[in-house]
Amino acid sequence: MKTIINRILNSEFLTFNEVLRLKVAIVTIFLFIFVLLSIPLSNFNSFNLDINIIVPVIFALLLIFTLLFMIFNLNRLAMHFSIYTIIGLTIFYVVGSDHFYGYILFFVTLTVIIFYQDIITYLLYGGAITVYGVIYIIQNGDSIVGINSTGLEMSSLTYQIILIGFYITFLIQFIISDSIYEKMNNEWVRMNKVLEKYQDFSLEYLKEISESNEQELLYKNFKFQQTISELSIFINEFFEDKGENIAEYVEFYFFLHDQDINDIINDKEVSAFTRKNAIEFQKYLMNERSELISILFNFSTLFKGDSEYNEKRYEYNLDKLFSNKIDKLLSLAIFYKYLKTEITQYDKWGKIERVLTHEEVTELFVSKEFREFISFEQVNFYLDNQEIFEKYL
Amino acid sequence: MKQETHKYQFPQLEIYKESLELTHLKRKTIIFNSLVFVLAGIVLYFLIQLGSNGETVITTMLMFIILFLVNIAFYSYEQDHYNNLKIAMYISTLGVYIIAISLILRFQTPSMFTSLFLTYAITSIYQDYKAMILSNSALFISGTLLILRFPSIFEIVGNAESQTFFILVFLIVFVILLSLSSYILIKRKTFFYNQLAQIKESEIRNMELLLEIEKIKTNKTLDSKEYYNSLKIFSKELSKKIGIENVFERKIELLKDLKKLEMSDILAKYTEYTLKEIDEIKYMELEIQKKMTMIGIKASKSQGIEVSRKEIFSESQFKSFKHFGDTQYVKIISFVVFYTLLKLDKPYLFELEEEKVKDVLLNSEYFYRIDRNIINIYLDNNDVFDTIVNDHMKGVR
Repeated sequence: MKTIINRILNSEFLTFNEVLRLKVAIVTIFLFIFVLLSIPLSNFNSFNLDINIIVPVIFALLLIFTLLFMIFNLNRLAMHFSIYTIIGLTIFYVVGSDHFYGYILFFVTLTVIIFYQDIITYLLYGGAITVYGVIYIIQNGDSIVGINSTGLEMSSLTYQIILIGFYITFLIQFIISDSIYEKMNNEWVRMNKVLEKYQDFSLEYLKEISESNEQELLYKNFKFQQTISELSIFINEFFEDKGENIAEYVEFYFFLHDQDINDIINDKEVSAFTRKNAIEFQKYLMNERSELISILFNFSTLFKGDSEYNEKRYEYNLDKLFSNKIDKLLSLAIFYKYLKTEITQYDKWGKIERVLTHEEVTELFVSKEFREFISFEQVNFYLDNQEIFEKYL
Repeated sequence: MKQETHKYQFPQLEIYKESLELTHLKRKTIIFNSLVFVLAGIVLYFLIQLGSNGETVITTMLMFIILFLVNIAFYSYEQDHYNNLKIAMYISTLGVYIIAISLILRFQTPSMFTSLFLTYAITSIYQDYKAMILSNSALFISGTLLILRFPSIFEIVGNAESQTFFILVFLIVFVILLSLSSYILIKRKTFFYNQLAQIKESEIRNMELLLEIEKIKTNKTLDSKEYYNSLKIFSKELSKKIGIENVFERKIELLKDLKKLEMSDILAKYTEYTLKEIDEIKYMELEIQKKMTMIGIKASKSQGIEVSRKEIFSESQFKSFKHFGDTQYVKIISFVVFYTLLKLDKPYLFELEEEKVKDVLLNSEYFYRIDRNIINIYLDNNDVFDTIVNDHMKGVR
């Protein structure tokens, strides 16, 4: 329970799969409560004793399946089973009794489905349970009419409108969230790739520094390899009796640094086991811009860049950065000069030695992607005067 | 050991997150009001169908009108828009509950009682912590009080059995489920805002890191003098071509002076410009400011980046040492390599003391990038880790 609470409190740091697992765990706890409640409530329903025993047992079995799927990390399947359980419970409650609390379960079921935040699941299961709810009210509305109601028709209409309203409102909420988050996530993924490009360049410079200083590469250093081996064995001893089993993996990890890893991965003659390990280790190689290198660079940035925030800190569009026309033109000239004179590209040998040519800069300026940096007006001005840009900058 | 997850969060994030949220808050306010408008229409229809007296119709509709007016007022007042919209959100959340409760008390039927759930759904559009607390509390308190104080609401024609206890139990379970659900959903929203804000800041810091490493490699910095000289000739020729007075020259002079002079001296020398204008011109300065360099770096690296649909919301986009499907050995080795690298001096980052490494790994997002069992072993035995590294790596770099 303490783990679940901790995970809820820190759920913004969990991956999508971990969050889904957490949600299934929470729903399962609630379903367990509803299954337990079905025992005392069986006194109020119209089912016979056999059904009142068999149905809760089936629900308990469904819950066990849900838990099993969670244990085997089949979280989506577990999610579907938890939804089947709550739908089953709702039908059991509303069909077996003519009590108002049974009707509340329609809302509980929709809440559970909403909780999973999957639009297809919501449209499918949520839509189905709403339709069922409406049909139930049309057919059995008279069983939940309050004594203060003015009549069956208005009572039934109120129930239907509120249930449909509840469904539609959350559908709208879904659509808003989906569009907002998809846009944000799209930008995040794109920026992640841009960051990787910066890190590619940083790593290339580091390699060149190392080469020019004739330094031994760290992953070739015996002491470093020994440190990694010893630390790995130390951790592994907490998981296995023979902690040293991991040593062979450490050796393989460093061996991969001397090979073309893609050759190993694509070589059909190499065993599937070796190739699988190579794929897993590829993310953590030290001689290419791997995930390990990206994490390390990002970690380093925690200790850098302490300049203060201003509202244009993340603005890279010259048209938005400057309001004055002269400033817009002057900044365009600086921008052009930077691209044409600073070394920003790889040469044909993979070294960072090349500048962009005037033609390449022009091609970039007119490209769609560059609207992120300059406006149409600026491009048109540039095209009208490009010979001056080329000659004097 | 108490964990402070946000201890190492970039300080610039909060303000940017607010600006991101403001854009969405405006949209949500409009959608919320549209839904309330539809609700008002439905309520009016019901009141007319039920033949309610004029006083009931007018008071109910007046409540809706007041709610709209409050929203319009706060929406229109753009100064401190973010906080204004937040206040409007709290008022609206409570406002719709007040309207729902008044309708329930007016009609006293179980069908009308469920309008509380619809009200909850409408307020959930906001996806905000405080609004969520308000909404959940309002649902729980009003629901409980209505069940306990007005049990006759739930009396059903032809069914004499008391249901109050079970309705209350169901309501409690429902509210707890709703609270947990909205808490996690809002946390996820925070997650997206955080990720985006963080990567924006991370981009600047990665560019600075690149510049720092580039400087070590090339031992050169941007030649601002050469830039300004070229600009001077360029602007002269450009002015000649388009047949205008050289309006650029004075600004180029100002750019050069920005490095040498204090702001008070700049203002005294360039009286034709206001402080606000100079602040904007400053972005073009090339020695102290890095804005133009950053734009140049970003533009030179941003071509050809494409995002496929399957990459969005993909787990593989999250860089970590605990990828699903990786063997335990790979998770251990990758973490150990990372840890050891932190303990070594690098051209771009000095070696970190053990206490610092432990503090960052415990109190930052990096805690969640490492397998839970492995990070716990490290946190419990970090002195052993430190000793092993010190014993072997003495003298290496």
